[in-house]
Amino acid sequence: MLAQRFTQQSARRLLTNQPTLSRFAPPVAFAVNRSLPQARHVAFQPSSPVETTPAKSSDAYTILAAQRRQRPVSPHLLIYRPQITWYISGLNRITGSLLSGGFYIFGAAYLASPLFGWHLESASMAEWFGGLNSIVKGGIKFAIAMPFCFHSWNGVRHLVWDTGREFSNRQVQVTGWIVVGVSVVSASVLAFLV
Amino acid sequence: MAALRTYTSRLLASTLRHASRPAIATRNYATVEPISATAEAMSATQPPVPPKKTSTIEESGQSPEARTKTFHIYRWSPDTPSEKPKMQSYTLDLNKTGPMMLDALIRIKNEVDPTLTFRRSCREGICGSCAMNIDGVNTLACLCRNPTDTSHEARIYPLPHTYVVKDLVPDLTQFYKQYKSIKPYLQRETKSEDGLENRQSPADRKKLDGLYECILCACCSTSCPSYWWNSEEYLGPAVLLQSYRWLADSRDEHKAERKAMLDNSMSLYRCHTILNCSRTCPKGLNPGKAIAEIKKTMAFT
Amino acid sequence: MASLIRPTLLRKQCLTVAARRAFTKQAMPKSMASNIYSQSTVTQSSPFGLSTLRIIQPTALRVAGFHASSRRLILPAGPQVIDGTANDPAPVPEPSPTHGSYHWAFERLISAALIPLTIAPFAAGTLNPITDAILCATILIHSHIGFQALIIDYLPNKRVPKTRALFWWGLRAATLTVGLGLYEFETNDVGLTEAVKRIWTA
Repeated sequence: MLAQRFTQQSARRLLTNQPTLSRFAPPVAFAVNRSLPQARHVAFQPSSPVETTPAKSSDAYTILAAQRRQRPVSPHLLIYRPQITWYISGLNRITGSLLSGGFYIFGAAYLASPLFGWHLESASMAEWFGGLNSIVKGGIKFAIAMPFCFHSWNGVRHLVWDTGREFSNRQVQVTGWIVVGVSVVSASVLAFLV
Repeated sequence: MAALRTYTSRLLASTLRHASRPAIATRNYATVEPISATAEAMSATQPPVPPKKTSTIEESGQSPEARTKTFHIYRWSPDTPSEKPKMQSYTLDLNKTGPMMLDALIRIKNEVDPTLTFRRSCREGICGSCAMNIDGVNTLACLCRNPTDTSHEARIYPLPHTYVVKDLVPDLTQFYKQYKSIKPYLQRETKSEDGLENRQSPADRKKLDGLYECILCACCSTSCPSYWWNSEEYLGPAVLLQSYRWLADSRDEHKAERKAMLDNSMSLYRCHTILNCSRTCPKGLNPGKAIAEIKKTMAFT
Repeated sequence: MASLIRPTLLRKQCLTVAARRAFTKQAMPKSMASNIYSQSTVTQSSPFGLSTLRIIQPTALRVAGFHASSRRLILPAGPQVIDGTANDPAPVPEPSPTHGSYHWAFERLISAALIPLTIAPFAAGTLNPITDAILCATILIHSHIGFQALIIDYLPNKRVPKTRALFWWGLRAATLTVGLGLYEFETNDVGLTEAVKRIWTA
């Protein structure tokens, strides 16, 4: 290891003195960030004097603030490992939004229906729904029952958590999968057997 | 959730572009960036250049029986701020590398690429410096075993949704400022009976187990989606666990004050019990439970 | 960066900065803005007055956009701005239990109440307009709180105050409208549970 480092260092020294050598340099030591370190080395050569101005202490924070503004944000949602914890939490939010969104749309549409001549009375809607193909009916029912069951069962899980129980990693995973399983079963029952 | 966020972001895209990003030019100490370039640079949440589009730096002097493993590591340098962050690939011979991820990183820095930057100190999980995102989960590199399966390619990112100082080094200033804001010290006016020590029964002391061990590595806070979106105001799991450490301390006399500090919509109640925090904690603590206990005590007293 | 700003310098600075809160937020001096266009390297006239090296960067660097498309933005975080120095604690908001602990307890109460309210009418098989009205109101409040949480999470007041206000008042208007619609439905139609039952078994 030491020997290797020594070779690397001497190679680098050689390179700074004779930049033309860089094209023969082994890839390991020089492939990285080729332009910058070399540019610095060249800049430090006594033949080209470095022009500097002292930093005033009063400027330190301005400099830092300016640097902060250039920083990127590290990746998050797209690189975090899919885990049942945050996937179920996200699904809980999405299913809740879908159900509540549907509820809001229906409520507002019912209020506006006389204006536009829509027929949203329960009788006419039941008539329309009853006239559908049974496969389509089952599909629509399942599409509504699934988010409803999932959100409800997971809501129960959340209420249990709010009492301070079932917080170990294992319990969180087990209850999470239980919620998924129970939701699928209960949604299927609601959609196809009721 | 991704779909939901993308949708909202599209709705907001135009507003954000004009309102939130000040059109102030910033520059590096060595270069001067045109304003348009830096404005682009500030739209920070883009994924880095994938490893397929970057070069692979290979370890020299491979032996025939080498067990070569690839590591993809997030790189960004403040020296070239307008360059997109990228995933740089490195290969190492596992026969010459120690068992932990930190050993691999140190070996890359020592022997392959000295420009790689990361924090490390104790190499035994007590300082919390080497917190990073390894293969998708936040952990301490020194406590994370490097799988010996060479077909597995390791991906190492800085802690998620943090501002990157360089490569794997995140800026945790806001995190520390939030920690300071909860007054993490004993607050007490009355003197103890003997005037010497503030005593505590073994039962009361036991309540602090699982709380005092936190090393503030920020793994849990930066694994929390709520903290990703609202780190300016939401305190995050680590700081709330610390807050509970003082709320649970029988010797502390400022509990009402501590609770009042959390009693608003942002500081505590942005926690939606996602529990990524407890799942990821490299010390095996349970910030999620601590937060639930805070919510309980605040609701029923 | 560490090599750029010596820690001692920073520490001294932290102690002496008087106008702390505004410091990092202050806009760049005007002279800076003009410099940006006229110079490609930093010289003594730099407003930062900072020790710099003369390094000529390849021109490509100056043009390269950081992120070429805005297609995959996910609620982009703005540039990093930190209030005050590293030694100041983050500001603590005023206590307001109506948005904090009371709100939380109320939310749980509503959620817990939904369980018996949803099951009872179907289990008992009877149609009671009062429980039905209570169920409707509870779902409406539960939805309203849920949408509020979405707005608080994804539209931070600090970053997008106008959009936030728009959505906040929009949600209130929507909830009122829907409440009115449900009142109409409850008074003119058969009621929510009965309607669901009829459509479901149609």
